[in-house]
Amino acid sequence: MTTVRLMWTRARRELPGSVLAVVLVFLVVLPVAFIVVAALSTEVPRPGNARIGTFTFDNFRILATSSGARSLVNSAVIGAGAALVSLVVGASLAFIAARTDAPWRRFIFIVGMAPMFLPSIVGSLAWSLLASPNTGYINIALRDLGLPITFDIYSYGGLIFVLGLYYAPYTFMLTYSSFSMVNSDLEEVAAVHGAGLGHLLRTVTLPLAVPALAGAAILSFTLAMENFPVNAILGNPANIDTLPTYIYRLMASSPVQANAAAGIAVALTATVIVATYAQQRVVNRKRFTTLTGKGNRPRPVPLRWGRWLATGFAMLYFLVSVVLPILALVATSTSGSVYISRIADVFSRGFTLERFSAAVSQADFRTSMVNSILVAVLAAVIGTAIAFSSSYVRYRTTSRLGQLLEQVSMSPLAIPQVVLGIGILWAWLTLPFPVYGTIAILVIATVAVTMPQAYRSVSASMLQLDADLESSAVILGARRFRAIRNITVPLMRTGIVSTLLLLLMLGMREMSAVLFLYTSDTRVLSILVFHSFENGSITFSAAISLVFVAIIAVIAIATQLVGIRERRFTDARV
Amino acid sequence: MRIKIEGLRLKYGGFTAIHDLDLEIGDGESVVLLGKSGCGKTSTMRCIAGLEEPTAGRITIGDTVVFDARAGINVPPNKRNVGMVFQSYAVWPHMTVFENVAYSLRLRKVPKAEMRQRVMEVLELVGLESFADRGASLLSGGQMQRVALARSLVMRPSVLLLDEPLSNLDARLRDRLRVELREIQLRLGLTTVYVTHDQMEAFALADRIALMQDGRIVQVDKPDALYNLPASAAVAHFLGVGNVLDVTDLGAGAWSLNGTGLSITSTAVAPPAGHGKIKACVRSEDVRLSVEKPAGPNVYPATVLVSGFQGASTRYAVSIDGKLQLDVLSSTRGGPRFAAGEQVWASIDPACVQLLPETVDPVGSQPAADPVAPRERVYS
Repeated sequence: MTTVRLMWTRARRELPGSVLAVVLVFLVVLPVAFIVVAALSTEVPRPGNARIGTFTFDNFRILATSSGARSLVNSAVIGAGAALVSLVVGASLAFIAARTDAPWRRFIFIVGMAPMFLPSIVGSLAWSLLASPNTGYINIALRDLGLPITFDIYSYGGLIFVLGLYYAPYTFMLTYSSFSMVNSDLEEVAAVHGAGLGHLLRTVTLPLAVPALAGAAILSFTLAMENFPVNAILGNPANIDTLPTYIYRLMASSPVQANAAAGIAVALTATVIVATYAQQRVVNRKRFTTLTGKGNRPRPVPLRWGRWLATGFAMLYFLVSVVLPILALVATSTSGSVYISRIADVFSRGFTLERFSAAVSQADFRTSMVNSILVAVLAAVIGTAIAFSSSYVRYRTTSRLGQLLEQVSMSPLAIPQVVLGIGILWAWLTLPFPVYGTIAILVIATVAVTMPQAYRSVSASMLQLDADLESSAVILGARRFRAIRNITVPLMRTGIVSTLLLLLMLGMREMSAVLFLYTSDTRVLSILVFHSFENGSITFSAAISLVFVAIIAVIAIATQLVGIRERRFTDARV
Repeated sequence: MRIKIEGLRLKYGGFTAIHDLDLEIGDGESVVLLGKSGCGKTSTMRCIAGLEEPTAGRITIGDTVVFDARAGINVPPNKRNVGMVFQSYAVWPHMTVFENVAYSLRLRKVPKAEMRQRVMEVLELVGLESFADRGASLLSGGQMQRVALARSLVMRPSVLLLDEPLSNLDARLRDRLRVELREIQLRLGLTTVYVTHDQMEAFALADRIALMQDGRIVQVDKPDALYNLPASAAVAHFLGVGNVLDVTDLGAGAWSLNGTGLSITSTAVAPPAGHGKIKACVRSEDVRLSVEKPAGPNVYPATVLVSGFQGASTRYAVSIDGKLQLDVLSSTRGGPRFAAGEQVWASIDPACVQLLPETVDPVGSQPAADPVAPRERVYS
């Protein structure tokens, strides 16, 4: 009788964690398992097909074929190149903004993060408008000027350039804090001991930032390697196959070469896992060193005549990553002239909103827009709820499942989104729930791929909140749920709202994960941009890209405003 | 209400925070759990509240068993009717003072008029009646402390638990609130358990003090008894006895100070054998310094190493022949002050030399029959 009672209490304690574990199994674990099984089998799981097939390693042979090997090498080269560009650009901007006396540093800070709001599908589309060899605006302008130079964005260089450009903000964010948090005491000690500024930067500041730099480079490498839209839009015209585009081709070919795709997916995932593991180790070491920093503002480095050069560099980056792409989209969707052989042609017939409004009034566009918003909102709400519950079990209960929930929630970081998308497709086609062909499966995929960001954001906010605030409500007689509702949720509201907005933004941008999950009724904006580009309706895709960017910018600005309010709120409490 | 703790054990993984602890607290009694941070005092309190789940043992509040590991009983914290004031206050910043205090009454669906009356009553008790509608995030530390106290009192708890409630306040406010807390506790006749690392606070607030070390209670006593008769050298050291010296019995009340060639005389009775090494404990204020050599035993020639003026008193570090260093506290009024380097005589009254075992076994404690006059010290 007593043992029954004991088991009952124990079971009750593990109940919430178990429910969450089941949810995460359906979101992440099962899809990954399907990929692995498909990669090692002759069959692909399908509804009504219970056969697992026979065990085989043959699916990995595709990596040894010339096209397989080429895409592997291409991905590695492009990933490494993009990581280098991202590192040089992002870290330079971070250093200029954090540690120098260059003018307009506050603006440079915004410049460093601004390209985040441009989904990479839009960035690559805009750059193909700017620098396709024949019709790109930049090349037309160069021809106008009589210069014998042509930029070809459909090339290794182009891919590396665009990927590096749009992942530089990640490097910027990771390194900015380590540059500005460098313990100025350490530097002052060195200065007192007679070190000159140049010597000081070399011997103290840079070594302290090395973990952040290495972490940023590895992160850029993984992101560039698993990116689908840029690789597809800029790589396909030049026949540069990469792992994500090769997977896509295998999945889109008929007959579908699903097992081969799974083999490649496993190879890509393995690479990303290794890189992510290295990145985590490096970044964890960094946390160790920056914790000693008190965050008091270190001395700015005087650049003398180089001040304007530094600011000029930042402005060039802004021009190339944001201004020119937006202008190209605007020109393409609103210029009165359709055929442009000289830059003057853009202006010759004035501008019109006709084509723009024609684009946005198309049924396709409106359906996709509604779908995108629906998916993003639902995924943000559900994702935040799951992440909140998991963090709660992890940090506020004695449940033994807490750590497991955390690991599973963070694991999609190491799974390429394209791969997770295929896994979700196979898993949910086989499961007896009719979600395929509905918005639901897009929501499921979006929740799964954004789970790490959601979990990190919510748990950071929960860790800042003293657990005693909720405990005291329980002691005063409130049931646990009541205490969470009355105390914890209201006190975490800014953290919860900013998580919601972050997920909303990520959900709007999401493309790779839903690539195999949409049907003609459930297309989202990013997919529509991709399709219309592939079909050659350039004006249409440029116009909807602009709307797309505008929506994301609104969400991003809202996020910033909430962030500012949160800071004020905590200031008031201290 | 009476609290009875039996065989309480709490483990976090491989670490044992509380070792088989027994404690009984009488109805209306105020017991202070005193000890260094990490000694298990807060964990013990959180077990009483139900915020931690013990590994073993039994806790009874009044006639209700709220926890029994063997019987699988674990009453959730919201059903224990225990009031608790946290070190961080845990006052909810998104509510007003009134809403904070009224929370437990609202949960119990107390009618509006009665709620208002009861809340205002306790706010008056803690001196915050004019702050009822103030947002709680705008209060000072001392005010938050009072809100936290009022919030716990309004539900008329069976037991009030206080976890270092004064440690985040400045010294003067701490003194005042200490007195107020004791007054409220006596007036309401509340059974209280108070956790602190500050012995002054413990002395001022306790009917009895339970001194904890490494997850065990090493002594339970009235404050003055604890101060005058510490059970072990470790307790004496914790209570601020400045000189704890290794000694060996020479017979006839004389003890050799190990490793120095010196000896010390004590009128105290040596503790029974089997308690580890014996230590001679001398309070810093019981060492006297003088220029002239005084008569009697325990007189040593000494050199002043450090002299630190502290206002009402002066603290010295003196060296006896370079072999032994003593901590000395002497009243500044009416005596000479010595400077570093001066040669002086240090003397100790044999009656002030306590002989104590290094450590003692943990004790179990019975409740005081009369809380205001708890029974004498228990050896086990």
